[in-house]
Amino acid sequence: MVRHSRLCWVMLCFLLSALASAQDLAQAQQYFPASHGPASPQQSASGTDSKTIRNDLVIRGGTLLTVTHGRIENGSIYIHDGKIAAIGKTVQAPSNATVIDATGKWVMPGIIDAHSHIALDDDINEATSPVTPHMMMIDAFNYNDKAIYRALAGGVTTSLLLHGSANMIGGQAVVIKHKYGLGRDDLLFPGAPQSIKFASGENPKRVYGGKNQVPSTRMGNFEVMRQAFTEAREYMRDWDDYDAKVKKGDKEAHAPKKDLKLEALADVLRGKLLVQIHCYRADEFLTEMAIAKEFGYKIRAFHHAVEAYKVADQMAANGVAIATWPDWWGFKYEAWDGIPWNAAISMRKGVRVAIKSDSEDITRRLNQEAGKIMHYGNVSEEDALKSITLNAAWIIGVDDRVGSLEVGKDADISIWNSYPLSSAALADQVLIDGDVYFDRSLPGLGLTHYKEVQ
Amino acid sequence: MFKNCAVALVLVAAASLLAQSPNKKPQPATQKGGSAPAGAFVLRGGRLLTITHGVIENGVLVIQNGKITAVGSAGTTAVPAGAKVLDVTGMTVYPGLIDSETHLGLTEISEDRSTVDTLENSDEIMPHMHVYDAFHAETALIPVTRVNGITNAIVAPAIGDTLPGQDSFIQLAGRSANDMLMVRDIALPLNFTGRQRRNESFDRAKFPQTRMGMAAQLRQAFLDAQDYEQKVADYEKKKSSGSDKPGNPPKKDLKLEALLPYLHGQRPVVLAAEEPNDVETALDLAHEFHLKVVLNHLTHAASLLDKIAATGFPVIVGPIYEDPKESERYDAVFRLPAEMARRGIKIAFASYDAHQARNLPYAAGYAVAFGLPYEEALKAITINPAQMWGVDQLLGSLDVGKMANVVVATGDPLDVKTDVKHVFIAGQEIPLVNKQTELRDQYSQ
Repeated sequence: MVRHSRLCWVMLCFLLSALASAQDLAQAQQYFPASHGPASPQQSASGTDSKTIRNDLVIRGGTLLTVTHGRIENGSIYIHDGKIAAIGKTVQAPSNATVIDATGKWVMPGIIDAHSHIALDDDINEATSPVTPHMMMIDAFNYNDKAIYRALAGGVTTSLLLHGSANMIGGQAVVIKHKYGLGRDDLLFPGAPQSIKFASGENPKRVYGGKNQVPSTRMGNFEVMRQAFTEAREYMRDWDDYDAKVKKGDKEAHAPKKDLKLEALADVLRGKLLVQIHCYRADEFLTEMAIAKEFGYKIRAFHHAVEAYKVADQMAANGVAIATWPDWWGFKYEAWDGIPWNAAISMRKGVRVAIKSDSEDITRRLNQEAGKIMHYGNVSEEDALKSITLNAAWIIGVDDRVGSLEVGKDADISIWNSYPLSSAALADQVLIDGDVYFDRSLPGLGLTHYKEVQ
Repeated sequence: MFKNCAVALVLVAAASLLAQSPNKKPQPATQKGGSAPAGAFVLRGGRLLTITHGVIENGVLVIQNGKITAVGSAGTTAVPAGAKVLDVTGMTVYPGLIDSETHLGLTEISEDRSTVDTLENSDEIMPHMHVYDAFHAETALIPVTRVNGITNAIVAPAIGDTLPGQDSFIQLAGRSANDMLMVRDIALPLNFTGRQRRNESFDRAKFPQTRMGMAAQLRQAFLDAQDYEQKVADYEKKKSSGSDKPGNPPKKDLKLEALLPYLHGQRPVVLAAEEPNDVETALDLAHEFHLKVVLNHLTHAASLLDKIAATGFPVIVGPIYEDPKESERYDAVFRLPAEMARRGIKIAFASYDAHQARNLPYAAGYAVAFGLPYEEALKAITINPAQMWGVDQLLGSLDVGKMANVVVATGDPLDVKTDVKHVFIAGQEIPLVNKQTELRDQYSQ
């Protein structure tokens, strides 16, 4: 099988390298010719740039796990300009399309990790104030971090890189595609909505309590939040007053000072940011939802959420998702009631559940983590798959773009040597926007776009 | 000095204790009464992974008096009358899994110091610490672990000291610590990973701040123990020669005395190192003092595997989930078990955990993905560790005469999707309930 896919790879490279100069041919097997060009132009909102637009590609012959419409045995996917253009038992594709033979393999969407802190070096927490909504993770994003590659090799194509949990209101996340080897901007998920990280519980109270500051209790935690949003409301009111004056033609009107922090909080209240909350305990989910209601914003997802099963019906009623581990528990008090049936019970009560890593290690094998919820909760294959694809995509706000094998979606696809929701499966090839970024059969790192600095 | 036979004696004692006296919490009603031999079970129709003599399809396994009394094919294997028969057709039956390093019973809530007894951190040389003194038999973590088919484990202190204290070998069921501690002192971790240095900051550093310091300190400890032993021997000699003035015996030193069984090679040191240079240094030290060695981790020591194979030392390999070096391929550590097995190195897996010890078989499964033969992966969590820890007469395979630590599951023990349906420990069926199943049942309505 390995031999076979290597052959396909060589063919693919050969076809494309015809576009490259003769001296590039020797390298073509290892480095995709498209990566030899100058830095890419800004990506368009459609998610394709000049580098990823390529000739037609067909993945042929595998068992397709579509996520949204079941399995297709011995199916094919036609990819055009980085998007899935057709999928089915047979597809219409140009005769000159490059073919990836996936016979005997398993094909599923690229895995999506809705909770990650990779590629942020040691800049995960601005732990100097419990309210730091104006911290932008893009400013710490280390696109050279090999953790991006190692996750890619585990089938991951998209990750949400979040601020840490030291602060009740942390910073704003960055959404990446794992196009390891390209430039920083090439890794950014084009057009992805902005998320903001909140936290609660033990971490903020430990961090600030340890400095003899507020918050040192859960009372302090939530009061810090209410205080922040109360100030943000006043800030918004001042700006609304000013805007109204200007509109009336008041030449004397003084613009209030722009305040990055309050501006970011105002964006929460304006509904411009997806709110992702680190939260473990059942009572805190309820308090968080009550505060959100009081100030008029929506919570996108509770992260970790090990006690979600206790109040899952109320989360479902509020349309709040969870991003959780299958089986972590006991490492601290607020994780003491974690159970491996959390995902299954929450799903059954109508909560959208994602299985995430929060770990540089586990992000490499989220396929196994999803398999665990089939073990513990008899979760169906489709729901287990959704937990690491479509549901994670929804939490990030990109479910219209990725997370399933459907016509019109980005061709972010992982091809596996055996049934992916198991202990022993390996990703053979991983495509993003229709372009192969990882190929296990290649020597060295197995990367196609990465060039080791000499 | 008088412990030469201690391990063997403890093993025999533990075996007879566990085999003869039911020591479990209340058992399912099905086991009570009747005319069958106490606790007799017949597991019929399953796929038996015997480990030592292949796979038996449609097999029969008989448990009596805490032991496996028959293993064979259906139809050719006699079963005792009156035994409780479990139809396990379509299921897989295998020996209880053995985790070669855990902190079970030493920690409850990791971040709460008051529930954690994993490391006596005040000195680097603490061989006289015994985890059995801290082992909390009633921990909520053991019932969580055993429902995934792990029936035995090494309990080890944490890695922060060079010699952090002695490991115990436990059975994951029993009424009290005494029942569960099968071998109280079974091995001594010898950690040489660099994390034992006291080098947090230059200002607050103390000896040993460097690897040189660690090695010198360790060497001195062994020399001191040898010197102590000599002094004791001299005194005994003087006394037995009839000297009327033998003087006082040397002051008893628990720390140095704890090292003697290891200097005599009676028990193994578990030699933990990750980088090739550390492995070399630690192996030299072990050689210098003629220590019996079980190697541990070897995370980044792939370049030394031929040399390690030549030593004949077994290896606890992992965690295979450690990151490779930045320059390395993503699977450099994942492939380590396969690379070892290919060279004939005897390997065992460990969870190196407490709360997640239940995930032990999945590491073995993942190693299979990266080239470890399936049978080797199974052995690495059954018979190999049983041999490494000297308990293979009792554990590690489905063989007649062994203790009935037996697991019945819906499929491949190494796969994440497999659900364990029955666990027997010393022939007792363990109810598959724990703190977590109780919460599940309470909230799943």
